[in-house]
Amino acid sequence: MFWIVAALLTLGASLAVLLPLAGRSKGDSAGNEHDLEVYRDQLSELDRDMARGLIAPSDAEQARAEIARRIIRAGSSDDRSVSGLRFAASGRILGGMAVLAIPLISWGLYAVIGSPDLPSQPLRERLAQSPADSSVDELIARAEGHLAANPQDGRGWDVLAPVYLRLGRFDEAATAYRNAIRLEGSTAAREAGLGEAITDAGEGIVSSDAQRAFERALKLEPMQPKASFYLATALVQDGKMTEAAKAWEAMLALLPGDSPWRGPTEQALAETRKRLAEVGPQKPSVGPTQTEIDAAASMSQTDRNAMIETMVAGLDEKLRENPNDPEGWMRLVRSYLVLGKKDDARAAFNRGLAALGASSEDGRKFAGFAATLGLSATE
Amino acid sequence: MVETGHFALVLAFALALVQSLVPLFGARTGNERLMAVGGPVAVTGFALTALSFAALTMAYVQSDFSVANVWENSHSLKPMLFKITGTWGNHEGSMLLWVLILTFFGALVAVFGTNLPNTLRANVLAVQGWIGAAFFLFILATSNPFARLVPAPIEGRDLNPILQDIGLAIHPPLLYLGYVGFSVCFSFAVAALIEGKIDAAWARWVRPWTLAAWLFLTGGIAMGSYWAYYELGWGGFWFWDPVENASFMPWLAGTALLHSAIVMEKRSALKIWTLLLAILTFSLSLLGTFLVRSGVLTSVHAFATDPSRGVFILCILMLFIGGSLALFALRAGSLTTGGMFQPVSREGALVLNNLFLTTAAATVLIGTLYPLVIEAITGDKISVGAPFFNLTFGSLMVPLLMLVPFGPLLAWKRGDIFGAAQRLMFAFGGALLAVLVTMLAVEGETVFAALGIGLAFWLILGALTDIVLKSGFGNVSARVMLSRFVGLPRSVFGTTLAHLGVGLSVLGIVGVVSFETEKILTMRAGETVELSGHTVRFEGLHPFQGPNYTEDQGRFVLLGASGNSTGEIISAKRFYPARRMPTTEAGIKTMGFSQLYISLGDETTDGAVVVRMWWKPMVTLIWLGGLVMMIAGAISLTDRRLRVGAPARRAKPARPSPATS
Repeated sequence: MFWIVAALLTLGASLAVLLPLAGRSKGDSAGNEHDLEVYRDQLSELDRDMARGLIAPSDAEQARAEIARRIIRAGSSDDRSVSGLRFAASGRILGGMAVLAIPLISWGLYAVIGSPDLPSQPLRERLAQSPADSSVDELIARAEGHLAANPQDGRGWDVLAPVYLRLGRFDEAATAYRNAIRLEGSTAAREAGLGEAITDAGEGIVSSDAQRAFERALKLEPMQPKASFYLATALVQDGKMTEAAKAWEAMLALLPGDSPWRGPTEQALAETRKRLAEVGPQKPSVGPTQTEIDAAASMSQTDRNAMIETMVAGLDEKLRENPNDPEGWMRLVRSYLVLGKKDDARAAFNRGLAALGASSEDGRKFAGFAATLGLSATE
Repeated sequence: MVETGHFALVLAFALALVQSLVPLFGARTGNERLMAVGGPVAVTGFALTALSFAALTMAYVQSDFSVANVWENSHSLKPMLFKITGTWGNHEGSMLLWVLILTFFGALVAVFGTNLPNTLRANVLAVQGWIGAAFFLFILATSNPFARLVPAPIEGRDLNPILQDIGLAIHPPLLYLGYVGFSVCFSFAVAALIEGKIDAAWARWVRPWTLAAWLFLTGGIAMGSYWAYYELGWGGFWFWDPVENASFMPWLAGTALLHSAIVMEKRSALKIWTLLLAILTFSLSLLGTFLVRSGVLTSVHAFATDPSRGVFILCILMLFIGGSLALFALRAGSLTTGGMFQPVSREGALVLNNLFLTTAAATVLIGTLYPLVIEAITGDKISVGAPFFNLTFGSLMVPLLMLVPFGPLLAWKRGDIFGAAQRLMFAFGGALLAVLVTMLAVEGETVFAALGIGLAFWLILGALTDIVLKSGFGNVSARVMLSRFVGLPRSVFGTTLAHLGVGLSVLGIVGVVSFETEKILTMRAGETVELSGHTVRFEGLHPFQGPNYTEDQGRFVLLGASGNSTGEIISAKRFYPARRMPTTEAGIKTMGFSQLYISLGDETTDGAVVVRMWWKPMVTLIWLGGLVMMIAGAISLTDRRLRVGAPARRAKPARPSPATS
């Protein structure tokens, strides 16, 4: 369909050039005739002005004499004598080139910059197509539309919350879980999901809010694996490695053999044990050590900034070596923004996007995250 | 549909290239067939650009977020009007509107220019083709509105809330009609330079185009000023902001052009000067468009963020401004100059007008560009603000405005200044009376304010004096006078109304600058406040949910003498969640020509609201004056004098004998 329209448009445009070239020459009036016509017009205007009394007769006489002088000058300098035939051959060549240029330029240029295979995508049509053909984004938009109209539909929030979580829209996931809990009641799965959403929104730090949600989940279902796992992670983050290792062990003992949580738990336990063996029980795995934090607290503002910048630079360095780390990129971009280094944040964003691939799942998620911070790829 | 629009745009570019070369070559070689290509190509180019613009508008209307431009500037919940106006509420779309108008004017020249000499018409269309080709290339290479997104996002990022206003529907199109209208004058000037001669028809053609462009630009600037006044919530009508200056400079130059074109048409004098003015006016339009669009004005570093766009812009500017001025330098000497005239005459007055206006435009140009130059050279950020402009521009305008009423009363060739002064005695007396009344009757006036009011009345009464005298007042009976009045050329009405409009605007400016009163206070529901004799009661804040925003509406009730309500003013603070941006919606009540203007500030912790309230006497006259000027331009445009009589074409051309020259 598009190609037919494009071909017709090209044809029409080419005809606009071709027809006057092929048409019979209409002939032109002499160049000076136009001037004479203007002067004649001025004479008649003068007469009208005089009839209206806008101009004194003596002035009118003077003006008429001047216009007459111009007419005589125009009549004496008839300079129309350029031959049309002498250049007929070169004219034909140029005309032919012009007619050819239309399809060549337009199709050539369009082939480079156009997207002929992309159909128009009006929003209404996208939302009206059958759910099976819809992308996740479109399904979410549909659900959001439904929930905007029926905010009391707890089941809707319940369905949407884990989807948000999967897509990395953590704040919205937390809101959806809260709504689901408020409307449908508290369950272990919902509370654990809420905790996870809060944790992920906080870049993996299990905050006290998240801890309370996980604890509520465990109260409802003492074996809830997600809640147990994150609470153990919280212990690691607090620097309580030994307790964390104990928690992982307890978890492993109770988890059924086919639980998807077995793998991550075993890995986390192994890592914690390794760290315990390496640096002793006091070293937390994530973030600065207690001594570093204490040191930072006693520093001056400039020194503290310098320390933070060193840490961010370290992260930056790590990502240069191992760029396939979407979480890391997000943290880096956010850190730069927090430090007020907008240009660095943008550079990091561009680097990250290049490393992850702009069209990959991670890349898109990353771009979406950056967009919420006011960065976009077009800048 | 989207891709059809994209393809049509590419095709229009190809046609613009043909239009810029083929008719020019035809005119050089006297080949009529090649010259004839210009017309149909110009019309087709316009049709294709219109199709392209319609496709983009359709994408906005249907919220097609697979178009990057739509995604960046639209939102599915936006009201339909703002979806449509959002098409040109961004860089890419506005450039498309620019070329749409450019090709529209090119098509008009092609359609209505059939009575022009063939070579002139071909050259004019070719120059239009150059401008068009440059802009199409700019759009396609650096600012393509049809760039696509895969996969398409499901929701857009919304239009800047300040732009979500009826003003966006009116202001940019009017402004662009003005800017681009001057491109026709430019093309005529460059075509005359290429041909090496200025036809008498040239003069008659330039005036209507200048008039049309000028009246649109006047409307665009006035509308923009009113929009800023009510939308930004500061209650100011002109900020000497670089973006405003960018539109004001071509207006000043265009006004000068309008007046010098009269001299050229009537007296065949000032030909070369008029030609230069036509070039300068459009150059300033280009500069204005680009300064605004490239973001150079907000910061020189806008070039750094998108180097390709900035460099492209510089190239186009250098090519057209530099090229046309170089052509002028080369060719101006070979053009025949016009006649001489006495200094005291209509021509002399118009030359004086031109001197003042171009100097004023130069002043504004310096004030606008100086900070940019300083920043580029030394890196220092300075700002040239209202004090500079008020001093320099103001001191140029006052003498010019004082001389305005004399102009139309002076005769062509040899004027009588004392005679004119004598005939203006009545207007002078009226102005003096206005000064006295202001000094005696109005409280808190200053001498300057009174003199300003006097100047405004001098302009208004002077304009009226002209038309009353031209009707034969004092010499003939009332009946004859009436019939003469009706029979006056429309351009006389145009002159009178335009000068009257200037007077009205001056009156509004002086009124609001000198007699404005202001109060800033915190108010609670139920409290009343009194400002310049108007008592207003605050009724409290009420939340309100708009289609794509939420707002707190502050309701104010105007109280009459007996405490009864005589009207309501609603002022609001809006929040647009998509862009996370707040806006203020000023509450305005018009009383006569004056306005009561209320704008809301922040809420204090204890529930009261900061309220800013202004009484703006005669403020609407500023824009009504602009409207009157627009009407004046339209009336002048219908004057039969402006139509160029077409010589009858010969049925069969006298066959030119081969190789005679």
